[in-house]
Amino acid sequence: MGTEMGQKRHSASLANKVFIQRDYSEGTTCKFQTKFPSELESRIERTLFEDTVKTLNNYYAEAEKIGGQSYLEGCLACATAYLIFLCVETRYEKVLKKIAKYIQEQNEKIYAPRGLLITDPIERGMRVIEISIYEDRGSSGSSSGSSSVSGSTAR
Amino acid sequence: MPGFSSGGVGGGVGVPASAPPRPFRPSRYVPVSAATTFLVGSTTLFFCFTCPWLSEYFSSVIPIYIAVIFLFTLANFCMATFMDPGVFPRAEEDEDKEDDFRAPLYKTVEIKGIQVRMKWCSTCRFYRPPRCSHCSVCDNCVEDFDHHCPWVNNCIGRRNYRHFFLFLLSLTTHIMNVFGFGLVYVLHHRQQLDTPHAAVTMAVMCVAGLFFVPVAGLTGFHIVLVARGRTTNEQVTGKFRGGVNPFTNGCLRNISHVLCSSQAPRYMGRWRSPQAMEVQPPFLRPPLTEAQLEAKVLDNGIQNDRHSTRSKSSLDQMESQSADAEPPPPPKPELRYPGLPRADTEESSLLTEAPPTPSMYKYRPAYNSPGRNHTALTHPNKMIRGESLDSPSPSILMSSRQPNYRSEPSSLDGATVVGGGVGVRRGGVERGEGPGGPGGTTGGLSGGMSGYSLTGRSYTSYPSSLVLSTGGSRSSSLRSAHTAHNPLATLQSEGTTDTSYKSLANQTPRNGSLSYDSLLTPSESPEFESAAHELSPQKPHALFPSATVTSQPEVVSPSTRLQGYTSPFLSAQIAQQREGQLLQGSATFSSPHRAYLRAVSPPPPSSGPPEIQHLLQHNQDSSSRASRNPSSSSSSPGVRSLEPPVSPPPRGLSLGKSHSYTGEAGPQHKPRPAGGGTVPGGGGAGGGQQAPQSTSRPVLGNHTTSKPGGGVKKVTGVGGTTYEISV
Repeated sequence: MGTEMGQKRHSASLANKVFIQRDYSEGTTCKFQTKFPSELESRIERTLFEDTVKTLNNYYAEAEKIGGQSYLEGCLACATAYLIFLCVETRYEKVLKKIAKYIQEQNEKIYAPRGLLITDPIERGMRVIEISIYEDRGSSGSSSGSSSVSGSTAR
Repeated sequence: MPGFSSGGVGGGVGVPASAPPRPFRPSRYVPVSAATTFLVGSTTLFFCFTCPWLSEYFSSVIPIYIAVIFLFTLANFCMATFMDPGVFPRAEEDEDKEDDFRAPLYKTVEIKGIQVRMKWCSTCRFYRPPRCSHCSVCDNCVEDFDHHCPWVNNCIGRRNYRHFFLFLLSLTTHIMNVFGFGLVYVLHHRQQLDTPHAAVTMAVMCVAGLFFVPVAGLTGFHIVLVARGRTTNEQVTGKFRGGVNPFTNGCLRNISHVLCSSQAPRYMGRWRSPQAMEVQPPFLRPPLTEAQLEAKVLDNGIQNDRHSTRSKSSLDQMESQSADAEPPPPPKPELRYPGLPRADTEESSLLTEAPPTPSMYKYRPAYNSPGRNHTALTHPNKMIRGESLDSPSPSILMSSRQPNYRSEPSSLDGATVVGGGVGVRRGGVERGEGPGGPGGTTGGLSGGMSGYSLTGRSYTSYPSSLVLSTGGSRSSSLRSAHTAHNPLATLQSEGTTDTSYKSLANQTPRNGSLSYDSLLTPSESPEFESAAHELSPQKPHALFPSATVTSQPEVVSPSTRLQGYTSPFLSAQIAQQREGQLLQGSATFSSPHRAYLRAVSPPPPSSGPPEIQHLLQHNQDSSSRASRNPSSSSSSPGVRSLEPPVSPPPRGLSLGKSHSYTGEAGPQHKPRPAGGGTVPGGGGAGGGQQAPQSTSRPVLGNHTTSKPGGGVKKVTGVGGTTYEISV
């Protein structure tokens, strides 16, 4: 598996991208599928991945929650003829910042060491979570291929 | 705060994935200028001429109240005009690599138990999320698209719907105020009506009265929409006419969602933080599970050998094929990531999945040439992957893996196709090579493959019928044909994409068409079964028949049935032809169907296919030529971009009296949206846009080249794609 041990490579090249699609089963609220894609079988533990996606889903649910805060924000905006938006960030934007931080942290701690990178879904219009898979440059493509293949056959 | 998204200059604001700047069209600004002039001008006059007297005679609260309402109106008007409605940035190339060529035009997704279709947007290069629509005026896909409003010269979508709605409410109130207080003034100055003040007041009252009727009507319309949780687009296209709206959460919740939810973020013009993450090997790898280790042992180096060459050559051919009919598709994935030999990975992964089931190879790549005409590949797989399909068969196939990264020939039975898909595509697509190239290399692989390789036509589709009848698959292709019945049938009973075929297929027995009766049997029940599983039990049954039968039963049924048994790439036009022939009881069609029957047993007679292939070829030629999409939104070529099908030529060529699905679908949808005034017109534009686009994709023509022995028939398509049909 970890055959890269003996080969010290200092560069990684983008090999593949996996796109985690939205889960629309509950309507148009922002939620991503937690299904583990087969390309990541050999790259990351399933639980880590699922935790990441679930946390992201929770963040988005919090952003879209209709409650006291969003109502007040709306009233204030109406009262000030929406000029308030020039000064204050909307609730959603605040949560998006939190999400960006979270993704950054996940990338640093978990994904980059495994040769993966998560792209913030907002850059894709919140339609997909893009996970880039990197390979050691020059490392045999077959090893990654076979490992992912074997991973997939195992399913 | 608001991003300027409307206007003719520049579709995107400083964002990489946006439309190129469009020509400046002054005519687009006429309605919005007129609206602004009337609003501001009339109110100013009112304040100058009528309000002084009002504040003296009654109190100064009145002008203040009127001013507050007016400012509120103006603020919402500006927000509705200048705010980005929720434009989706164009998908980057990497994202749609999976949807190459044979990707289906539609993907279905289940929302609260109701099947909703997501259509591929050829301009924006992604499958439109539910409720998203592409605005041809703005040339953007807009989230929760309501309509394009010419009075604000902007789309109304998720982000600015609230402002638009409040604008309407406040404008109605403002008009009533102005008219009411103007009337008070006039009634008090009956003897001085010749004074300029009175004259101006009367003029303002006239303007107000004139605008009151349409504005109030529109306001009432939107109040109803908000209460029901629908968009104008959905209302006008009649999507939820049957009454099943998956997006509603109840009246109160709908209202609070519109008015009280947090302002949605914009997707365009965002500040992209520079990617500071360094990804450096060595990489951690998770420990392999036992199953994975076993699998590793099993796949003992079969990979990488023949398939690499075959895949590359087939890929080349695919690309050249597509160049025939349309501009070349996006570069293959290998070109995008030059670092890795893609082909190997995919081929190896293909091989590791040993003997693919028959149905997998049903859908040959043949349809590549018209670009992305075809269906089924990746997306049904993706759908299956991501969706609720829990059946074991899909999962086996889905394990595919890499194919995900590449377009796969998913087929009607999406699940099953996955594994064989890639290989099939490679082997099948080779142009004019005949058995030689692909055949040779195919060897073991296509041995299994060819057995099932479908030209994508009816003949070998028998496995598909089996698969279909299992109810597990999702067919993507013929959605286009099915789209004719789009709003009704689709949403209600579509179930899997398959259902679109099945539902149509199920219509046939009602028409008493003879040759298909036996064929229908296996698939009839599945349609409702699958629909029933996924949907609320009663509704699909009740709705679907009413929806399809009432609309165009004769058109729908035969073609669907045909589609059910034929390749996903079959366009509606071909389906219509078949339908026409069916209705005529033509013998030509009986043989392929016998083929289906024999799916369980020996191969079909070879007489059937050639005739049909000729038919298909005629059709395809004309349809591929004719199907250039005139609508602006589908500028890019490709399977999915086959939109408003120009029906006459194919019809002319088609053997029988096939109705043009598209023809019917088109007019059927157009008048409906084209009905009303501004808003319905705008909504209609959006809706009308969708409807014609949903029609068929061109189907490649086929003519058989019979090959002696081997039990494999080589069929070459118009584009030169070759596929093998087991005979």
